[in-house]
Amino acid sequence: MAEPLIDAVTATVIRSAMETICFEMATYVSRTATTPILNQSNERNATILDATGRLAALSVGIPQFMLSSTLPVKFASEFFEGELYPGDVIIANDPYHGGGHLPDVNVFSPVFDDEGSLVLFASIQCHHGDTGGAMAGGYNVFAKDIWSEGVRYPLLKVIEAGRERRDVVLMMRANNRLPGFIGDLRSQVGAAQLGAQRLQEVIAEHGVRMVREAVEWSIDDAAKRFSDEIAGWQDGTYEADVYVDSDPVGNKDIHVHVAVTVTGNRLIIDFEGSDTRQDISAWSTFGNTRGNVVAQLASLVDPSIPKNEGFFDCIDLRVPLGCCLNPREGKPVSSGTHHPGVEVGDAIAIAMSQIMPDRCCPQSYKFGSPRQMWGDVDPRSGQPFFDHGGEVSAGWVSAAKGVDGWGALSASNGNLIKASAEINEQLFPHLLRGRNYLTDSGGPGQWRGGCGSLFVKEVRTPTRVNQYVVNQRHTHPGIAGGSNGSPDHCTVGTTVVNPAVSGVLLDTGEQLVYRFGGGGGWGNPLLRDPQAVLDDVWDEYVSVGGALRDYGVVLTGSLEELTLGLDDEATERERKARR
Amino acid sequence: MSYRIGVDVGGTFTDCVLRRPDGSLLLEKASTTPNDQSEGVLVGLQQLANAEGISLSHLLGQTRTIVHGTTTGDNTMIQMSGAATGLIVTRGFRDEVEFRRCYKEDIWDPSLPPPPSIARRRVRLEVDERLTAEGVVETPLDEEQVRKAAVRLRGLGVTSVAISFLHSYLHPAHERRARELVLDEWPDVEMISLSHEVLPKPPEFERTSTTLVNAYVGPPIARYLGRLTKRLAEQGYAHELLVATSAGGVATSSSAARRAVATIGSGPTGGVSAAGKAAAAAGLGDVVSVDMGGTSYDLCLIRDGRPQVKMDWNWFHRWCIAIPMVDIPSIGAGGGSIAWEQGGVLHVGPRSAQSQPGPVCYSRGGTEPTVTDADLVLGRLDAKGFANGLMTLDVAAARAALAAVGERLGMNADETAAATVRLVDAHMTDAIRRVLSLAGADPRRLDLVAFGGMGGVHATTQARALGMHRVLFPRAAAGLSALGLMSADHVIDDSRGYISGWQKADLAVLRRLAFDLESSARAELAVAGVTEDRIELEWSLLLVYPGQTFDAAIPVDLPSDLEGAVAEFHRRNAEARLIEARAQEPMLRGVRLKAIGRVSQPAPLELDTAADLQPIKHRRMWLDNAWHDDVPVYDLATFPPGAKLTGPVALQTPFTTLLVSPKDVVTCTPGGDALVELRH
Repeated sequence: MAEPLIDAVTATVIRSAMETICFEMATYVSRTATTPILNQSNERNATILDATGRLAALSVGIPQFMLSSTLPVKFASEFFEGELYPGDVIIANDPYHGGGHLPDVNVFSPVFDDEGSLVLFASIQCHHGDTGGAMAGGYNVFAKDIWSEGVRYPLLKVIEAGRERRDVVLMMRANNRLPGFIGDLRSQVGAAQLGAQRLQEVIAEHGVRMVREAVEWSIDDAAKRFSDEIAGWQDGTYEADVYVDSDPVGNKDIHVHVAVTVTGNRLIIDFEGSDTRQDISAWSTFGNTRGNVVAQLASLVDPSIPKNEGFFDCIDLRVPLGCCLNPREGKPVSSGTHHPGVEVGDAIAIAMSQIMPDRCCPQSYKFGSPRQMWGDVDPRSGQPFFDHGGEVSAGWVSAAKGVDGWGALSASNGNLIKASAEINEQLFPHLLRGRNYLTDSGGPGQWRGGCGSLFVKEVRTPTRVNQYVVNQRHTHPGIAGGSNGSPDHCTVGTTVVNPAVSGVLLDTGEQLVYRFGGGGGWGNPLLRDPQAVLDDVWDEYVSVGGALRDYGVVLTGSLEELTLGLDDEATERERKARR
Repeated sequence: MSYRIGVDVGGTFTDCVLRRPDGSLLLEKASTTPNDQSEGVLVGLQQLANAEGISLSHLLGQTRTIVHGTTTGDNTMIQMSGAATGLIVTRGFRDEVEFRRCYKEDIWDPSLPPPPSIARRRVRLEVDERLTAEGVVETPLDEEQVRKAAVRLRGLGVTSVAISFLHSYLHPAHERRARELVLDEWPDVEMISLSHEVLPKPPEFERTSTTLVNAYVGPPIARYLGRLTKRLAEQGYAHELLVATSAGGVATSSSAARRAVATIGSGPTGGVSAAGKAAAAAGLGDVVSVDMGGTSYDLCLIRDGRPQVKMDWNWFHRWCIAIPMVDIPSIGAGGGSIAWEQGGVLHVGPRSAQSQPGPVCYSRGGTEPTVTDADLVLGRLDAKGFANGLMTLDVAAARAALAAVGERLGMNADETAAATVRLVDAHMTDAIRRVLSLAGADPRRLDLVAFGGMGGVHATTQARALGMHRVLFPRAAAGLSALGLMSADHVIDDSRGYISGWQKADLAVLRRLAFDLESSARAELAVAGVTEDRIELEWSLLLVYPGQTFDAAIPVDLPSDLEGAVAEFHRRNAEARLIEARAQEPMLRGVRLKAIGRVSQPAPLELDTAADLQPIKHRRMWLDNAWHDDVPVYDLATFPPGAKLTGPVALQTPFTTLLVSPKDVVTCTPGGDALVELRH
């Protein structure tokens, strides 16, 4: 190949243009989709890939899912070799052809130069509200296999050379429960077409050679900056074990094992040793596992490094086929996308905390499954109702070095805008009795884990409930000497949920009481600034007893009387005795 | 006959515009005084008086109206220097404001610190009370607990109290009673903000957050306006001081003090409203206005002559302020963006030199080169005449700073400057695209209106890159914000929440809410001296499909025309979205009223069309990625209507410059503004 002509300024200008196109694609979906999860909660990711499916640029909705376009596009470029045309738009959602789980639908369109050679793909991935299959909602955590979860579309040309395939649209419409499904899909198709058209403009402005070279430059730049960081890490192999309490059907202690080897400026990430039981119901596809690996690694390095294929170039990812993180074709994946999917991030954070604790903070949540509550009659309207949950609940917010866990974390990483009590109470016959932070629920540490919360929902009419709860025994991990967060605990009426309930009936006036667990702490709690502990007690994140028990801090006076104070001497004595 | 004055406080300068009885304008700039902005305001007013050759008291005695845009609220939030604020809420919802509906600004950064707290958990207290979503009392207000909460907050040093109860927008009696009880226990509390008065609509997080911000900035804003009003009165000003609000209009200073949150983000609204008027006068259609200052870059989409307004999910200074605000995203640091090197690559921004220390060439202690420094080195700014000679720019220092960054990249000062300008133009172009995509607008169908001190320097390059065809540069570009404030209308933009399936909605309830909105708006406008014949009412109904979080405001002639609104809502969705939404019945979320008190606009000024057009000088400058020797520089003030020039050319005013690239053609509109036709 000829010596590159590209200069850094031009490459930066083209990269910035591509990131903007990703933003425009994602925004197009937000503006045109009908489903709230798409138009209001950012659950979509736009990417630009090169002719072989390498990631060039992206705009992120959910970090763990940021990379799930690369494998399906790679598969399509191989499968359709020589059969891709300008104006094509392709749909893919199959977990066993590069996807994550069935609700995540990838839609992408190839971009060609004047001579007809394939240059780029514009791709947009969105989460849809139904997938067909045995249960509405696309989250059948009790499914025995992938087919009972829904319909698989490994690759479908929904638009061929600019013409909509009406037969394909009809087939997709027939295999989905939601009236808005095709509308949302069209919104995605429009976004992919917009992306392709805008990329065409960039090629026209800069020339195809410059655009190709800018992609290479950008990938090399990310790889170089990422590998420079790795080169600064201490060589060696670092291992961690993380467990999920139980899959939804009761198989206990789903095991994730990772060995991260740092060798020079490269990483080997090996999940050999992870759970290989074949009768479990906790499977994270390879694509989903890979996404969680990279999302966690990205949080360990300079956030300004562009997220593209350069990251993968530095990683040798080994996930044995048949383990819970790379299932053989056919296993169900609804629940496994989350658990053990996100535990992959926990495992890497814990492993890497052995050499770089300052940067480690698990990028995960302990979500179980969406809380579904439904009934035959809302007494106010006489109509049936179906509540997908989705109100704010706080929990699992880990501390990082220098920052206590804060706010509320929902799936995922604080990029979903959650529903409110006032509007949900209009839509569904219940009263939210509260969702306050729970005192002493944040994992103690030099920096404290964010508190969990007490979520109490009281029904105003007979209501049935589905709920799967994790984080009851294997709780959100502390890092670098910090302690774990408090456990989750959930009761539906008088039934304790462990690990899951399906269709349990709540009578009028009964409550669902969910104590969400806290985040993990960072660092030794005995090193926490006593003034910060005092402040925490003032604010009831920590109790007077907790201050002594968890932090060795002795207080005087009383919160009630507004006379709270520090006993410096006693605190020093107490802490000394424990060292 | 009387004077009218607009005063706009910016980060660096306080702009004062005077309109004389004959309609002619005068612009003066004074340095902004950050600690007490009223000092800079008085200096600026004195400068106006001096320029008129009369005393300040003489000037103010003859002034009918002063309109003021203040950033006191924004500064209070930036410095977190507001009142000691406490919050009383429904039991179970103490931590709502901390949850922020799970929103975090940067999902990649686990070390992102939390937002600075307005009311820490210890001063967020709960009381027993509960309403249902139908507005029915489920648990009565426990009055004893409210009294205890008041005593406790006072004991904790609180001076300003916010009260936010669940569903209070449906049934405000509990919040009102709570205010009485707090006042009874604590008569000298500085301020009480009730959520149903600040923002009477759901959901609870947005309403509570907005109310807290109001409680926090209210006392300092009330004190500031009190101080300024007193100073102006002492100097002979006998009328109501008007204050700009974020809704894009003005309010009386007493109303602004009560609902102080409405002044946050009001700073750039004046320029936007003047830009819209200039675009209409020049016969342009939908436009984007770009206000590029020494340290800021704000833009706004103006459709049908109206700046776009956003409500609900508005984030300012890391707090949600959900009232209607003119949507003016700030997308960069303007001339203050710093050029820096990392990993052998040149970067520009997002860090800014801000107004202190500012660009290197300002000689205020800045050491890192900025876009302004690059423009100066490239001959695009006038080193001597900058800001009407208020400041002389140090070219040598700018050059040295750029050379130092370039050295690590193998570039000299000129090359580094050129690369800096190219990158900032690319970033700004991309940022404009992003903002427009959020509104679904295609830049190729829009024109650009550029203003602010640096707007004319970068506008044509950016507009061309966006595929636009025309750039309008108002003659008053450097003082457009103050000018816009001066002629801004009174605007009250308020709403009432009412959630119901649309078919079940009780029209009597809707009419009552509308009556309530209208009568309070009319009362407010009457206080401001607006006569009935100048009031225009714009109604809209707020609708969503079930499950959507954010509502859409659908304009209606009458607030009871729910059926018409629903039809229009379906139509708009179908048009924009290709969707099959008819299966879903919309929900009503509330009713909104924008009440406008029109201010009479002066007749356009007669301009001299016979002025002699001669360049005032020639300068070597960098345009379109190339050097051009001897580019003629004209005085925009002498550019007569109908005149036409072909680039390369520069048009200058005492405070700003418009650069016109080779082959672009600039003409003067009948109103005296410069209109550039871009070649492609």
